Amino acid sequence: MIKTIAKPVKRCVTGCGECRSTCQSACKTSCTVGNQSCERVTREEKIEKRK
Amino acid sequence: MIHIFSYRDNHYIYDTGSGALHMTDRETADYLRSKEGEEVDLSAISPEKIREIESDVESLVREGLLYREEVTTYPPKSTEIKALCLHICHDCNLRCRYCFADEGAYHSVREKMSAETAKAAIDFLIENSGNRKVLEVDFFGGEPLMNLDVIKETVRYAKAEAAKRGKRFLFTTTTNALLLDEETIRFFNEEMENVVLSLDGRKEVHDAVRKTVNGKGSFDAVIGKVKQFVQLRGDKHFYVRGTFTAKNLDFDRDVLFLADSGFDSISMEPVVTDLSDLQIREEHLPAIKEGYDRLCDAYLERYAAGKGFNFFHFNIDLEGGPCLSKRVSACGAGNEYFSVTPNGDIYPCHQFAGDPAFRMGSVFEKKIDGSLRAQFRDSCLFTRKGCEHCFAKFICSGGCNANNYHYNGDINVPYAMTCEMMKKRIECAMHILAQKKLAKE
Repeated sequence: MIKTIAKPVKRCVTGCGECRSTCQSACKTSCTVGNQSCERVTREEKIEKRK
Repeated sequence: MIHIFSYRDNHYIYDTGSGALHMTDRETADYLRSKEGEEVDLSAISPEKIREIESDVESLVREGLLYREEVTTYPPKSTEIKALCLHICHDCNLRCRYCFADEGAYHSVREKMSAETAKAAIDFLIENSGNRKVLEVDFFGGEPLMNLDVIKETVRYAKAEAAKRGKRFLFTTTTNALLLDEETIRFFNEEMENVVLSLDGRKEVHDAVRKTVNGKGSFDAVIGKVKQFVQLRGDKHFYVRGTFTAKNLDFDRDVLFLADSGFDSISMEPVVTDLSDLQIREEHLPAIKEGYDRLCDAYLERYAAGKGFNFFHFNIDLEGGPCLSKRVSACGAGNEYFSVTPNGDIYPCHQFAGDPAFRMGSVFEKKIDGSLRAQFRDSCLFTRKGCEHCFAKFICSGGCNANNYHYNGDINVPYAMTCEMMKKRIECAMHILAQKKLAKE
């Protein structure tokens, strides 16, 4: 049995820069890029839900 | 590549190429481990089960969710600057033993940034931000609140200048909370997208390292102020951020203490110091990993009981996470993110500030050292030594430039201790993600 728990909705490459700078999130020493969400995708999803 | 790991009798497969996380049973995990070259006793697995596993694997491979080829190239990095860390005050009203910034002075004179320098930094950022719409400024120290008037003037100036150019600023302040009062909290709530408050956890832990100028513990002086801040913050972003050292390897108790104190957004970071009694060393790793395990269990218990909290390192977004550019280039220090010291000098980030070898220019000179910048711009996940074999690479992006440099003398050589802790936290985060998802089904 192999059950998929999570898979990327969209693998984008954009580098649009709208996300927060990693170093300004909380840690200042041991930043983890992957615990951030893509702010553009998140915002687009929110707009989509409101429609 | 795939990473197979087990946690409290739950078995997971993480596919680095696709970024997908799967849950499985022990037999499947063992079978795949043996395929990866591990010595595993497969005698108890029936031929029928093996056929089932191989059929599942084939199906996931077809869907691109297992053994997917990894990306090894990415588009050229942008040279647009998006963020500055403003060292608004190279002085501090605390004397924390582990302070990397020389208790606020950064191995130089104690001084405050002038409004003129701060405005020049804002101009520098805007002028070099190209098409970026969202710019960020972090007010950092020392203790930024010792120079609050300049913070306020800088915010007003940055907003006005950004408006003229169709841009927007996000501000963050990192503070020890000693000078927080109601008026400052109101200002923060109006202007700061994020506030990071330093508090190490239990009183005895905090007081052992976070001392006042007179050498007394600072816990009693700040705890009430942090509580007042959190109460008035509403649903806006903040982190209560602690540091753990060799003296409190049971840091999970400090995280839970902070959660019990009413702070539901918490970060707890391993110390970066040369002090032998506080420094985290290899022999501490087993205890630290146990600490993360205990914290992971407590986190899930509290989540199930409706008393969940946000622990920074247990967040992971495998469905809508950052784009490839971000995953490969990490924090962007030295290329799209810089620190500015009170005299206007530019460094790759706060951890390099004051090191003459890393002075990259000045906001008054309006230019950046091209060769130093190229070193940072050209450094990425694919130039980091050893990362190619690590499952965590597209999540951690090759570690912190400053940590790599300070421990190994090279921004491209990850510090193994940090890697070990990072991998443990990522496994905990994946387990939490899976358990939360299962709980909702």
